Amino acid sequence: MIAPVSYIQPLTTLRRQRVLPVEGQVLVKLGETVHSSNPVARASLESRHLILDAARALGLPSERAKKLIQRSVGEQVEAGGIIAGRRGAGARQLRAPASGQIAAISESQILLQVSDESSLLQARVPGLVIDIDPGRGVTIECVCAWAQGLWGNGRLGDGILHLVGDKPEQTLTADQIDMSLRGAVLVAGICEHRQALELAAQVPIRGLVLGSLTTRLLPVALKQAYPIVLTEGFGNTPMNADAFKLLSNHNGDQATINAQLSNPLNGDRPEVIVPIRDSGKPPQAIPMQSFRVGQVVRVMAGSDRGLIGEITSLLPPSTFYPSGLHAPGASVRSQGRDEVEYPLANLELLG
Amino acid sequence: MTKSNPSQSRSLISIEVGSANTRALFFDAVESRYRFLAAGEAPSTIGAPAFDLNLGVLEALDQLQEFTGRTFLTDRGLLISRDNEDGVGANAVCTTFSGGPPLKVVTVGLLGEVSLESVNNLVHSSYCQVVESLSLNDRRRPESFIDAICQTLPDLVVVAGGTNRGASRSVVRLANYLALALNLIPEKQRPQVLFVGNENLQEEIDNLLGALTKLYHSPNIRPNLDQESLGPATQALTSIYFDIQSRKLHGLQELREFSEGQMLPAASALGRVVRFLSTVIDSPKGVLGIDLGASNTSIASAFAGELQLRVFPELGVGGSLPGMIAETHLPQIMRWLPYDLSDDFVLDYLHNKPLFARSLPASPEELAIEQAAARQVMRLAIGKSLPLFPPDAIYPLPGTVPWFDRILVSGSAVARAPRLEQSLLMILDAIQPVGIATVILDQNNLVNAVGASAEIDPLLAVHVLESNSFINLATVISPVGNTRSNGNPLLRIQVVRDGEKEGVVEIREGGITTIPLPMGRVADIYVQPLQNVNIGLGSGRGGWVRRVVGGVFGLVIDARGRPIQVPTSLTRRQEILQTWQDALIGG
Repeated sequence: MIAPVSYIQPLTTLRRQRVLPVEGQVLVKLGETVHSSNPVARASLESRHLILDAARALGLPSERAKKLIQRSVGEQVEAGGIIAGRRGAGARQLRAPASGQIAAISESQILLQVSDESSLLQARVPGLVIDIDPGRGVTIECVCAWAQGLWGNGRLGDGILHLVGDKPEQTLTADQIDMSLRGAVLVAGICEHRQALELAAQVPIRGLVLGSLTTRLLPVALKQAYPIVLTEGFGNTPMNADAFKLLSNHNGDQATINAQLSNPLNGDRPEVIVPIRDSGKPPQAIPMQSFRVGQVVRVMAGSDRGLIGEITSLLPPSTFYPSGLHAPGASVRSQGRDEVEYPLANLELLG
Repeated sequence: MTKSNPSQSRSLISIEVGSANTRALFFDAVESRYRFLAAGEAPSTIGAPAFDLNLGVLEALDQLQEFTGRTFLTDRGLLISRDNEDGVGANAVCTTFSGGPPLKVVTVGLLGEVSLESVNNLVHSSYCQVVESLSLNDRRRPESFIDAICQTLPDLVVVAGGTNRGASRSVVRLANYLALALNLIPEKQRPQVLFVGNENLQEEIDNLLGALTKLYHSPNIRPNLDQESLGPATQALTSIYFDIQSRKLHGLQELREFSEGQMLPAASALGRVVRFLSTVIDSPKGVLGIDLGASNTSIASAFAGELQLRVFPELGVGGSLPGMIAETHLPQIMRWLPYDLSDDFVLDYLHNKPLFARSLPASPEELAIEQAAARQVMRLAIGKSLPLFPPDAIYPLPGTVPWFDRILVSGSAVARAPRLEQSLLMILDAIQPVGIATVILDQNNLVNAVGASAEIDPLLAVHVLESNSFINLATVISPVGNTRSNGNPLLRIQVVRDGEKEGVVEIREGGITTIPLPMGRVADIYVQPLQNVNIGLGSGRGGWVRRVVGGVFGLVIDARGRPIQVPTSLTRRQEILQTWQDALIGG
């Protein structure tokens, strides 16, 4: 069974393709170093347009009006410029109501683009541009420590990692946040207090990495301008031991918090990236594996959510669980605990 | 490898690729009748980390090999020998698909309540999400529509409008707006267009749009104002759906080729079965089918062969759970929980589930939350489907579903409940049927396979539907009326089996009662209302109901009224939920 996987890697080479949804323009060069917030490409997706009808303006049938269109696609037009009609005093004409560019012509209708609000595609990963797909996007490579989360609020930010407390179950409270944390990325176990999120915004911090967040604060988290990544999800589950250890080891280091939304179809996950210099080129993460004895897994559901352990045996589909359901499973041994049986559906590999 | 010959098919593999799970089901002829023999299942591998749906297919087939002892896979991978000799392969293959993201669709019609409504009905019968609509009723400037198309980048635009001898200029005007929008999108990213409007305009539409993108024509879905005809357009939409998904989802094209065209959207397969059942029942009542999935829910209903089908990509019990949460107040979930759980615990669970959608409930409490969520997802989908049910169906009370003769429910959340009484209660609580209906559980998730196989060999569908692969949970009698005083006598029921009268059972309001009738056994019952309630014989009227079939729970009388009221107090709620469950177990 191909196992889902979360990556928590102390040192890896991360490659990210950043691709526009439509053709556009790549803004960086091969070999260029980019920051996570740098735009790497842009496309015109947000433009506004006006439809101009030559037939109506000229009082002619469409077939005749379209022959009198004097502009072609791509041409710039000033406000008041003639678009269709005969030149000369007294002739009926269609003039541009605003300056813009002729974006399209279909029959006797002309589409005038009056604003070009380009959509910018951010790098979202700090690193080196190693490949360019002209007009579409880039591939960025970064040597880093890397921890994937489960949920993100869609934002992006960079800052210095700052551990709040020394335990993965540490709750973030408002009294732990002061102006000295301005520009920092806070790392804590759990957040249950609205004031903590709001005060952090006022400081402002540059990011927040939590084990979990109580669901009641979800609307507050979505409103924040700084990125929030949850490694375990919603509730009061402490941050898993591996992620906490990795982030603790990089306390004080510069990190990128890419709190992009999870999308299982394209593999997007929120993530924390800590660039590491002068470490050569470590291998990339293994993309796909099956569950096997000896592998390290994380429990993803139930009261043991967030627990990390090792598979000691695989169990058949006839294995029953306390809910009364039966499914294939695994016995998992974790530090200081007896072996526990979990459905494979509730486990993921830690890569 | 020989090509499958429908007329000679005797064994069949059906592959189902869903968003969460991929299944391989094996059917073979046993004593001249098709039987479902085994299933293999694996997590779907459409997305990360595999990004190839065929890896999940292979794994499901591999498991099927283990269970059946037959060989379905060659050394070269995804190739099933169809020779069917010496325990190798199967004679035919069919596939259903419901995984992947829904298609982003823009719908265009002349009038909001006529052609646009029809085109929306068409699009909602498949795995599509309408991201933008335009009609002449639209008060926005047409530029907004053009800008919206550029921003949403749909996969498909479906254009309707004009009866075949009706409007033409307005349709062309709308198509022209579309042409302008298409011009703005780079060629490779342009949406495809399906034109299902005035057939006399096809040439003009060709001239406008044909050079810009891939353009399809299908017969007018509103050939005249009073008639909606979605059949041919549905086929065209299915074909386009697979074309677009095949370009996006790695492995789908390979699976299509392998299935030799026998691939259907899972919802269409459900629709086929429901329509078929509606033609074989001897009743003016309809048949209802529900497929509750992780990423979507399908509702199919049919009355005398007329199918209504709707897919809700925003309602599911896995990745699409947020869609339900957005439309639900927490008490609507909490009312079905027999445990003392905090709001926070339930909310956290519901929000974590879509983050790891394949996870299973680990404890009885979590199972109860998932089952409560399943009820609410089905309830929302049924509520949204009410306008689709034909107006001339029989509705005993406003706001209820119409009379259905059979209710067929599929989907793991219901079908794999640890106990069958949990499945039945989920179905009754969610659908809240009225009158007399047989409730059938698709315990092995076969309905899609049966629907898809009908084209290869209709006999397979007939045989499997008649077999015990689908479980008849109960014939359920649900009296409805404007009564609401728990505990009062409501009905008196006399069962007559094999010509022998059995004891008279008095049914009281507010509860569930079972009357033993072994599975498959037939009885006549005489129902005498003691209040002004309707069981389908007319308000306050009683009489004989002939040939009632027993299920796992015999006959079940659901006298809880409609809508079902659950006490808000925890203690009373626990008590009543337990009472309802006990009533079934006791039966």
